[in-house]
Amino acid sequence: MTREEADKLLHVYVDGELDAAKSLELEAHLAGNPAARAACERLREMSAAIRDRADYHAAPPALAARLRASVPAAPERAPRLAWRLWLKPAAAFAAVALLTWIVAVQTLRPGEDESIAREVLASHVRATLANRLFDVASSDQHTVKPWLSARLAFSPPVADLSSHGFELRGGRLDYVGGRAVAALVYQRRQHVIDVFVWPIETQKSEQVSTHDGFNIERFAKNGMGFWLVSDLNRNELGDFARLVAAAP
Amino acid sequence: MGPMSQGKRRFEELVLPHLDAAFNLARWLTRNDHDAEDVVQEAMLRAFRFLGGLRGEAKPWLLAIVRNSCLSWLQVNRPAELAGFDDRAPEPVDEASPEMLALRQCDRRMLNEALAALSAQFREALILRELEDLSYRDIARITDVPIGTVMSRLARGRRLLAESLQAISNAAAPQVHK
Repeated sequence: MTREEADKLLHVYVDGELDAAKSLELEAHLAGNPAARAACERLREMSAAIRDRADYHAAPPALAARLRASVPAAPERAPRLAWRLWLKPAAAFAAVALLTWIVAVQTLRPGEDESIAREVLASHVRATLANRLFDVASSDQHTVKPWLSARLAFSPPVADLSSHGFELRGGRLDYVGGRAVAALVYQRRQHVIDVFVWPIETQKSEQVSTHDGFNIERFAKNGMGFWLVSDLNRNELGDFARLVAAAP
Repeated sequence: MGPMSQGKRRFEELVLPHLDAAFNLARWLTRNDHDAEDVVQEAMLRAFRFLGGLRGEAKPWLLAIVRNSCLSWLQVNRPAELAGFDDRAPEPVDEASPEMLALRQCDRRMLNEALAALSAQFREALILRELEDLSYRDIARITDVPIGTVMSRLARGRRLLAESLQAISNAAAPQVHK
């Protein structure tokens, strides 16, 4: 790799957008080139400085309130008059419907979760039995994340937790609950931990369960659902779940 | 439920959660709280009207609308600033990587000033990348340029920012001059 090419790719690499093959090439270049390594470090610092120190301007609360109030009045107003007559009985009906819906969802959800738990467990067991753990093997989050992002409709968060004794081994694509999902593969001693990630619409509560000797842990964060599967003991898997949840 | 309430529900579920991102982008592009509020309000109403056209992820879709609203607003109120969105911005002076000493020493205020002073095309690329954590693909979609342009804008933007921090810290401490 020439210096010019490396310079150009450095930003892409630091942004976690370089594909796996190019990342490996660049990493080899960095390994033998202290000046390029220093440049990479400077870029990371620059990126971190903006993230940490630039102002994030959150919307003033009054704006959200104003928008909520003004939005329904914006388009097609026609049905409004007819509506007014029905508003009170409709509101009562809606309240009952909502209540029924909540109860239904609470009782039905375990069934849906149960089937997802079975699917992620099956995927984990298949992968470990067949020794087909990953499609991309790398301990570098900046290799695994772009590889997965390039093949999925979303970008899964990939954390480096090696300092806590959880080594990133790689990632693979899988199919769970009728959608393509990311599976991140970590290792603790001889135990393999699969982390399945995909975007979810509704935040679900945390949950721990045991299936056939495997521990499964579930939580949601920033619009992403996480399912952790491993034969690792429950305590350590719980620690791992907390680390994943706390990672930026 | 009627089509209207359904639209409102969809809006509240899909679009409103990204209000902070919308405001942050508008605030960095207009560089003023009050103007950002006007722009965002206008953009959100537009988003509500065009909600039927939403395919895929809502955040980049909404931010593209916010950015367009910013451009229309600037066109009317501060047309001179539109030039900053074109590819006619200054090349970085120093082709070698500038010293990062300035970066380590810079405080919040200096960084924010330097970022606000960047030409709009670099400012928006950096804000979308570093503060909104968006992918190159999403940034390309929002700013309506090819991915290659996003890459070069981020690279040049970072270099210009480093230079400008260097200049600010030199100005703040003139005795540093050799």
